Amino acid sequence: MLYFQILANGLVLGGLYACIASGFSLVWGVLNVINILHGSFIVLGAYLAYFAYLKAGIHPFLSIVIAIPAFFAIGYGLQRLMINRIIAAPVLLTLTLTFGLDLMLQNAMILAFTADFKKLVLDPPLGTIALGQVVMPVDRIAAMVLALALTGMLYLILSRSRIGRAIVAVRMDREAAALMGVNVARIYAVTFGLGVMMAGASGPLLAMIFPISPLGGPAYLGKAFVICVLGGLGSVPGAMIGGLVLGVVESFGALWFGPEHAITLSFTLLILMLLVRPQGLLGRKGYE
Amino acid sequence: MNRAFLFGAMLAAGTAAAGGVHAQGVIRIGAPLPITGPLSPEAKKQQRGYDLWAETANRAGGINVGGKRMKVEIVYVDYQSNTPRAVQSAEKLITQDNVSFLFSPFGSGATKAASSVSEKYQVPTIAATASSAQVYDQGYKYLFGTFTPNETLTDPLTDIVGRVAPSVKRVAILARNDLFPLAIAQEMEKSAKKRGLEVAYFEKYAIGTLDHASALSQIKAQAPHWIFATGYTNDLLLLRKQMADQRIEAQVVTMIAAPAYQEWIDGVGKLAQNVTSAAWWHPAVRYQGKDVFGSSENYVKLYQAKYGTLPDYGEGSASAAGAILQLAIEKAGSIDRAKVRDALSAMNEMTFWGPVKFGPNGQITSLEPPVFQIQNGKPVVIHPAPIRQGDLQLGVGY
Repeated sequence: MLYFQILANGLVLGGLYACIASGFSLVWGVLNVINILHGSFIVLGAYLAYFAYLKAGIHPFLSIVIAIPAFFAIGYGLQRLMINRIIAAPVLLTLTLTFGLDLMLQNAMILAFTADFKKLVLDPPLGTIALGQVVMPVDRIAAMVLALALTGMLYLILSRSRIGRAIVAVRMDREAAALMGVNVARIYAVTFGLGVMMAGASGPLLAMIFPISPLGGPAYLGKAFVICVLGGLGSVPGAMIGGLVLGVVESFGALWFGPEHAITLSFTLLILMLLVRPQGLLGRKGYE
Repeated sequence: MNRAFLFGAMLAAGTAAAGGVHAQGVIRIGAPLPITGPLSPEAKKQQRGYDLWAETANRAGGINVGGKRMKVEIVYVDYQSNTPRAVQSAEKLITQDNVSFLFSPFGSGATKAASSVSEKYQVPTIAATASSAQVYDQGYKYLFGTFTPNETLTDPLTDIVGRVAPSVKRVAILARNDLFPLAIAQEMEKSAKKRGLEVAYFEKYAIGTLDHASALSQIKAQAPHWIFATGYTNDLLLLRKQMADQRIEAQVVTMIAAPAYQEWIDGVGKLAQNVTSAAWWHPAVRYQGKDVFGSSENYVKLYQAKYGTLPDYGEGSASAAGAILQLAIEKAGSIDRAKVRDALSAMNEMTFWGPVKFGPNGQITSLEPPVFQIQNGKPVVIHPAPIRQGDLQLGVGY
């Protein structure tokens, strides 16, 4: 019975992880930009949900609807105004830029929200459901379902819409896409906007589960790295699979090796993956 | 000639500036703190405590140093929650900022690391947040701590549970793998075994853990009567929530150190009910002190007037560190480091923090830390008897 509970724990955790990583993976895969800001945008989304619930009684699920356009706009603007200027420079430069912006955002959040930990407490709580002996919290299941929906939406945008096809085209071959009439600068901005939107939209989901702190971003970012390498860069289904695999591996790792080694295990997995299959589970060679 | 004169003048001016801290009648105290990084909430608390002391001491005209009043100034350095940098910060404060005294960095680990620097330069150092015995076992002469050893928290707790709930037999312990949280968990294991309780589960989780579900599933499978978990605010917010997520119940649930903080109580909401904890101080204690704050009551009043909330033990300890240093300087009648060190070592005074007397290793021995329980959203002191506000309630649910 314990194994079923651990598996269930791992799957719902994996859903959250997928949610954390999908936007990050998209931006890294298409723009070749390692967006260090990603974690802090999740935190900002969590604060949005926290204050919306506290001040106006808006349920975190509804906050996602507010977060989607707001964070898309932030991402689009940021790419257009700042990142675009150095997008052709080596990857270290964009990394440094987003790192610097991340420090600014973190400190701005400390000033605005104080460094105290906050927690969104739903009243009444969503509770738990039991399948036999296996107990699962409704908020995590809901977060997982929503994460799947968001990731699915992103996948549909990329595979069905005109702009999505343009994003994929730019990812495959920037020059050829430009020759076909794709406005590359605009596609970059849209992609970055989508990445930030995913971060902002997962914020309210994570706010129901994790404590919120202005400096919580790097922990999410660490997970996002591992998941991207596991799943394959730039692949949306890859982020989903990578997240679920990491969640399950961490859960069973904590059971078999003790909870103190769960994090070590995930980074060991990262190194093994880089050695054995650097393109990730669902990534294709040459894309990374 | 001219150039040599200019150089000489600059050198003299530089020396005057460095040594001038004394001439101007200001006592500078260095405080390396994790102002940014994961420990920043703790640093903010420390800062509040130190600032309140400095403000109160200065408002009273400063510290009486052998009949002369000297103001105090606290020099903060941010070590970014990075312990090696805390050690460098302590050294910088002593050698470049010319502070006379030091307050330790946050927590047992960083305090121990930085104490070797203050010992090397023979700078009296007061640790406001270090309780683990391992911090004080180095034979150092210049380190003094305001927290009693960890077992003074777990021993009374185990006694009370044994008395009120004799049916509690099986304990599960989950600890953050960090110096203080792990040390207190190990003390709990000893306290429990000494009283014939079975420790059915003892595990550590890594710093930065985002999920406790697996550990909790294992704990649930053991059906313990008493769950004892350690960690800081973020860890225990998540842990308490995840206990409810798995419908875990126990007669007694103890968490150290988060329930001493109001933001933990606010953050878990109804799940805080009946969670027990222990800390070195509580705003409910009542001592009549000889320090600058006078009574515990007056301290709480001053704190509330400045910050609008109740002080917790971390903030209280930071203020106590200042008040104790002030008492020592006044007793020594000098800011000579060796004399102040001797005054600290010989101290036997009552303060708002409680009776202050340091053992031969520098750690305070005179305090009796309160045990408390969250009842209806409020902390209720259940031990020691003179400040008791209520009885231990059993049963923690989801």
